[in-house]
Amino acid sequence: MDRDVFLARVGRAAMTGLLPTSPEVSASLPELEPADLVGLFRDSLQKVDGVAHGPVSGHGAPVVVSGIASGHGCSTFMAWDDLPAPGVAAELTAEGLERVDHDIEESSRLQHQLGYVPLSLGVTGALAGLADSGSLVLSHGPGRPRMASLVPEVHVALLRVADLDRTLSMWAHNHPGAAAETANLVMVTGPSRTGDIEQQLNLGVHGPRHLHVVLVS
Amino acid sequence: MPEPVTFLGRATALVGTHEASAIEMGARTLLKKRDRAAAEFPVMEEMRDRARAIRLHALSNLDRLLGHFADRAEEAGVNVHFAADAEEASATVARILEETGSRLVVKSKSMVSEEIELNEHLEASEIEVVETDLGEFIVQLAGDTPSHIIAPVLHMMRQDVGRLFEEKLGVAYTEDPTELNQIAREHLREKFLQADAGISGVNIAVAETGSVILVTNEGNGRLTTTAPRVHIALMGMERIVSRWEDAAVVLEVLARSATGQRLSVYTNVVTGPRREGEPDGPEQVHVVVIDNGRSEVLAGGTAEILACIRCGACLNACPVFRSVGGHAYGTVYSGPVGSVVTPGLHGMEPWWELPYASTLCGACEEVCPVRIQIPSMLLQLRAQAAEGGRLPGWLEKGMSRYTQTAVSPKKWARAKRWASLLSAPISSKGWIRHLPGPGRGWTDSRDLPRPAKESFTDWWRSNRGS
Repeated sequence: MDRDVFLARVGRAAMTGLLPTSPEVSASLPELEPADLVGLFRDSLQKVDGVAHGPVSGHGAPVVVSGIASGHGCSTFMAWDDLPAPGVAAELTAEGLERVDHDIEESSRLQHQLGYVPLSLGVTGALAGLADSGSLVLSHGPGRPRMASLVPEVHVALLRVADLDRTLSMWAHNHPGAAAETANLVMVTGPSRTGDIEQQLNLGVHGPRHLHVVLVS
Repeated sequence: MPEPVTFLGRATALVGTHEASAIEMGARTLLKKRDRAAAEFPVMEEMRDRARAIRLHALSNLDRLLGHFADRAEEAGVNVHFAADAEEASATVARILEETGSRLVVKSKSMVSEEIELNEHLEASEIEVVETDLGEFIVQLAGDTPSHIIAPVLHMMRQDVGRLFEEKLGVAYTEDPTELNQIAREHLREKFLQADAGISGVNIAVAETGSVILVTNEGNGRLTTTAPRVHIALMGMERIVSRWEDAAVVLEVLARSATGQRLSVYTNVVTGPRREGEPDGPEQVHVVVIDNGRSEVLAGGTAEILACIRCGACLNACPVFRSVGGHAYGTVYSGPVGSVVTPGLHGMEPWWELPYASTLCGACEEVCPVRIQIPSMLLQLRAQAAEGGRLPGWLEKGMSRYTQTAVSPKKWARAKRWASLLSAPISSKGWIRHLPGPGRGWTDSRDLPRPAKESFTDWWRSNRGS
């Protein structure tokens, strides 16, 4: 249907319909001190079956990440190019993990993506962390593939302590342009889960089974 | 559109079944989780007020918001389509699939796709459509329909799923949910990575940015919108808010009300196809904005129902839904919200009975994250049905007998005496515990006080009369 015809019909309907009005309310949780945000984030992440590490310094992060990788027996990894701590990919390669290229050419999309089936580890940064829900905010773009937090069994995210906020609505209020700045913004709250069969919790349905967040001070 | 059925007929067949007890258990668990999440969120009530104001504002300005949304989305590289009805929506999807040469399609959970019966439409072509939400995948394998808007297989036990996988996927029988989950993961993973197109719904769209937001816990929504070359999002036209910040408020109450989570595992904001230099993501994004009866609802007395954010809390809270489950309603949208939405979208005539599928106890309105006044809308629809000459048989007969009796003082007095006499043998200590015949249902869950031995009129005559 033609857009103008469609919208004109909607406009007429909205004028005649009996819609109640509701006053604008502004309410949110109070802001927290940075130290309290770290503690709250750790607790919230644990509640959604994720694991928090640190805070560690940028130099300490590569060893923590490779420790997680060996703990899960990972052999291949995909990583974002610009991580908040230097040397993570180099450390993983030095430990014998094979790095999988993340740039998909359209002509070979299928072949390339099928190569992701055995991928065991994805390493990403995070634009922000949400302490109240234990969520990561991932902004995808050049050098920051979506697949890294989606296809592997294990997802490790490096999150700067300074990028913590309290709730999604508070963060969105502070970053009103965030949704349009990237083609894909994702909030990740714990590992992939389902309760579809008899409400029984199961992790790792289509996304990662394990989620680790390394806090970087 | 599904065939109209009588709610009473379906519901009666479901009461006391294996399916109904699975629903009862599942819905109670979900409701408990919702209540706990609401109680531990200090500003839950204020956030519900905010969400309500945001949604009502969006509905009042719906044409303007949809126009903004289309402009911004097109700037981001999205193809926006407008579909007046189910047929046009399905045809639009079929055309996009044909033009992009898509043979294998993965789908993440979408209620509106069920509403427009997209799968049936596409099955006619050579296209393979695979549902990827674990619950929807099971429903598709079983050739069944979902029984709850957010938990499609709430009506099935693990043994049902085990036998289904054994039969349809050729795997060894297991009833361990973890193993069943792993079987589905492996089966679907290859479909995702090879699919030509992905079809999703839209939980909420943002007018000022042209974004569509999809919420899932499993990650199928993200895979559907990341791996295939083409992403098609189906959007009921009312699913929109003005700003990104508004969407965030709605998302916080949505997750808590649906499953008791503070946020769903994956909240996926898509603003156009992959951009210059991006390593992955779809080449094309299409959004199909669907009316299919919504503008008639918006123009009428139940417009507020369009504020619904599809959390399913009213289903879980409803004593009628919990006793019979979603299949009793005979349509995609079940429970209290469905009893208002369905007659609105598909017409009062075939669905006039649904507004009676309620005790008007008000539990739905109490848990609704956007405080929709469902009970008063159900009453309004009942009145509309009665005016159109539609009343449930028991009510119609009862009311007409009552009218005949009550208009004649003589008949009325006689009726009272008979009631007193006839109730004597079936009462004990002033109460009737079991009514005979058609009244049996009424006393199944409550006792009736015995009519007084002497009517007030008789008493007046003998005590105060001249």
